[in-house]
Amino acid sequence: MIERTYLEPTDLEQARSMLASNESVRIVAGGTDLVVAARSGKAPLPERLIAIHRLKELVGLQSETGGGLRIGALTTHGDLEASAAVAESWTAMSDASALVGSPATRHLGTVGGNVCNASPAMELGSPLLIFDAAVELIAGDGFRTVPFGSFVIGPGRTSALPGELMTAVVLPTLQGHGRVGSAYMRLEYRQAMEIAIVGAAALVRLDNADRCIDARVALTAVAPTCVRAADTEEVLRGKTIDDGLLERAAQAAAVSAKPIDDVRAGADYRRAMVPVLVRRALARALERAKSRRLS
Amino acid sequence: VSNPKYVRADGLEKVTGQARYAADLLLPGMLEGRFLLAGRPHAQIKRIDIEKARRLPGVVAVITQADVPQLRYGSAVKDRTLFADGVIRFEGEVVAAVAARTAEIAAAALELIEVDAEPLPPVTDPEAALQAESRLVHPDWSSYTAYDGLVRSGNDCAYVTIAKGDIAAGFAGADEIIEERYTCDQSHPVPIEPHAVVAQWQGEKVTIWSTSQVPFAARSGVAETLQMPESNVRIVVPHLGGGFGGKCEFHFEAHVAALARKAGRPVRVVFNRHDEFVAPDKVNHPIVIDLKTGITRDGAMIARSARIVLDTGAYASDAPSIAEIATMMAAGPYDIPNLDITAHTVYTNKTPAGSVRAPSGPQVAWAVEQHTDEVGRRVGLNGYEIRMRNLLQDGDEGPTGQRMTAVGARACLDKAVELIGYRPSSVQGEAIGLACAWWFSFPAASSVNLKVNTDGSATLVTGAQENGSGAVMGLALMAAEELGISPDRVSILYQDTDAGAWDMGSSGSQTTFNNGRAVIAAAADVRRRILSIAADKLEASADDLEIVDGVVHVRGVPGTTMSVADVAAALFAGGELLTAQGTAIAGPLPDNFGASCSGRVVFPAFADPTFTCQAARVAVDRDTGVARVLELVAAHDFGRVLNPDGARGQVEGGVVHSIGMGLTEGTTYRDGRQVNPHLLDYKLQTAADAPSIRVEFVETSGVMGPRGGKGVGEPPIIAAAAAVGNAIASATGARVRQLPMTAPRIWAAVNAANQK
Repeated sequence: MIERTYLEPTDLEQARSMLASNESVRIVAGGTDLVVAARSGKAPLPERLIAIHRLKELVGLQSETGGGLRIGALTTHGDLEASAAVAESWTAMSDASALVGSPATRHLGTVGGNVCNASPAMELGSPLLIFDAAVELIAGDGFRTVPFGSFVIGPGRTSALPGELMTAVVLPTLQGHGRVGSAYMRLEYRQAMEIAIVGAAALVRLDNADRCIDARVALTAVAPTCVRAADTEEVLRGKTIDDGLLERAAQAAAVSAKPIDDVRAGADYRRAMVPVLVRRALARALERAKSRRLS
Repeated sequence: VSNPKYVRADGLEKVTGQARYAADLLLPGMLEGRFLLAGRPHAQIKRIDIEKARRLPGVVAVITQADVPQLRYGSAVKDRTLFADGVIRFEGEVVAAVAARTAEIAAAALELIEVDAEPLPPVTDPEAALQAESRLVHPDWSSYTAYDGLVRSGNDCAYVTIAKGDIAAGFAGADEIIEERYTCDQSHPVPIEPHAVVAQWQGEKVTIWSTSQVPFAARSGVAETLQMPESNVRIVVPHLGGGFGGKCEFHFEAHVAALARKAGRPVRVVFNRHDEFVAPDKVNHPIVIDLKTGITRDGAMIARSARIVLDTGAYASDAPSIAEIATMMAAGPYDIPNLDITAHTVYTNKTPAGSVRAPSGPQVAWAVEQHTDEVGRRVGLNGYEIRMRNLLQDGDEGPTGQRMTAVGARACLDKAVELIGYRPSSVQGEAIGLACAWWFSFPAASSVNLKVNTDGSATLVTGAQENGSGAVMGLALMAAEELGISPDRVSILYQDTDAGAWDMGSSGSQTTFNNGRAVIAAAADVRRRILSIAADKLEASADDLEIVDGVVHVRGVPGTTMSVADVAAALFAGGELLTAQGTAIAGPLPDNFGASCSGRVVFPAFADPTFTCQAARVAVDRDTGVARVLELVAAHDFGRVLNPDGARGQVEGGVVHSIGMGLTEGTTYRDGRQVNPHLLDYKLQTAADAPSIRVEFVETSGVMGPRGGKGVGEPPIIAAAAAVGNAIASATGARVRQLPMTAPRIWAAVNAANQK
């Protein structure tokens, strides 16, 4: 018979000590990836589990001094979707959280779970990349932060060490010179219960003359992890964005994509969709930036 | 006709979660069963060793083919055994079954069963499988027994034709000839409730609770394969969580019964979603359709040849009769004087195909109706004009010679075109597509017992099976109307083969068509007796009486009344019961050409055909190929509509399922195995995807059905995928020739058209 361990700490201190003495344990929050994978036979249910859903310390959004936002690991996609602060300043995160799964998935699924599950198709991945988010981790008495871009290292793989618990992601402030707009868009075959076929997040910062002083673009589901599209960003920086430039920037994203063939789409199709999604995400980010009042 | 606001009796318990399904059952001492599925498409079994599994603590029984009678069964061709018998022919073949104290132990035991098997190359391409040099899926096919009249050869388990008129002369007289090829991927019924079976023995008798749409077919299957009298087999169907044909025919009842007998305890088997995709022999056929149509300059379709290759998978199941249907669908609801249509039903090493809702209908109509648009275009006719010019009318001769009556085809076309406002779209990337289709009603024997209680309420005891469509629930309406009582005073006992008389079950859109006739006959009998008793008491002629709200009145004479309850009580006091049996017989099919067409065993003609036209307004994103259906209208000729709310519900559900088949639902195979047997990548339409749907009925009066009604359940799923295809072609100028018309396929077709 299979021996199972299931631990359910009620506060962070208890979680710390349980993790310290149970290094091979798997952490479960909403269970929308882990339980579904076990049920479908994709991955067996881990024999040792720590369920962290009762750790109130990890729930919710907190403004950071300096204007950033700290998102507790147990914050759900539904919480993100409903947050006015996120919609106002980190709009691409808002777009992405509203697209995850179904209302039921968004009610249960957490930001920490989405990040640690590290799917190449994760909706929050590209927005976290363009916002230069950082991941907070604790282990025993230790605490460290890792840039999101170096936290996810492959499909289903992160740089978290055994015994480490992700506690939050932190979005730095976007305040500063000029007007910022961001957006996340994905290609979907149906309008609910969908997973990204190809996704793109874009951020543009415009000066008072509508010139692009910063551009950040990231791609979803076209490489082993979500990736920044540096060439696209380079095309846009310092320029006034018109349709021609937008198209050139979108085409430049193709080099960042290394898509695979799978049942959802062929690599050729995915590759061809990258510029389409980048163009659309950029256009929406641009429109949002322009709609902001000049400071 | 009937109460238009009738709320079905099982509605409340279903929406409040009180309804119990087969998987919810718990019996004392019950074990959990699991099947070992082959997991590979084609192999020769050398040895199966169950010893390790048997010895695992908590395991009570392990069985294989060695534990059941050695015989072949099958509805059209007796080509299969309960468990793999030396050969694995598809990945979902059941190799062994385990019963254990818990589902977890059962799963662990499956891992311990050793199957030593030599892989064989899988036969996967049905067209190649027809070639003489192809490996045979059933090398011993010629020794199998089969339906009389089936034409079989090698991997072709049913060759079917329609031959009408003079095809060569027809093409010679045509001004234009259009040839096209369309292919369809496999798709699935996907009921939200997967298969579940619970079996319990008491002496020589077994009771099996099963998710069956056809409990009497399940009973015969158990009796045949376990070699016992049908009287010792009782099938009970708790609430059924959808079927869509996937739960037609005998499936797994005997496997579980055999397992329970070996274990000496009740056993429950509940399928997971993966097994539900691969194991039941009920998928929509992958089909290749070659069409060739000759048309005159003035738009008359005068000749059509078609070759249809249906991939039936590892076993024939009920697919040979579906090939007959496919040929009728290839002719379509059109008056084409010269036809040469052939269909091959081909074995491959895939999950067997069978009677999923309107089997072959959506796929063949999708091909034929896109072809109809292309044929019209060649002579300058739009989608409306080409159809109106050629649709069947009363008095026309059908494809196999039947004389058409009660044909609402043209009225449906006019109604659909009016509802959707058919005209070229002014919005870039948007267009309207039309599709017409026909289908049959299915005459079958049926019977019901009606009991009126002394309080004036009534109970129907029927063998008909509810699949969730509401067809059985609607029987109460028909009885109530005849008896003059409220439908909520009529209860229905169904879902038990020991209670009701034989019934074909929830298949062939036949419940209302046949059991409805039996209900009306029983209720009419009881009504006559009520009126006769009341006429005596009220001193009036029975002809002057009416029954309203459970009370018999003398028409025009207020105050002179007698309740139905009083009639029943008076009879009872006199030593009699107010009961009746009603029966419906399967009337003859319309006259037809008979033997001049080959292999026509079940459908030499279409009884009481129904007609439809559906129209879709679709938006296509040219950059991505993503298509969205914005609006769909459905005009249906169901003869007389007896339960308008129920019929509308059937149309709405069928339309959404058909759109799914059109755009997103398809199975990808790699090396003979399904790549996407799960709901993440087998993409059903969601509520968010459902368009606005408007439904209108064109009433005609059918010949055989109750009060002129025709079958309703299947026709709604046939035309929408085709209408969406025509809309996509019209919006983009590109035709997608593979079903489902996924975004990548639309995108590729648009690119190819751009490069021309």
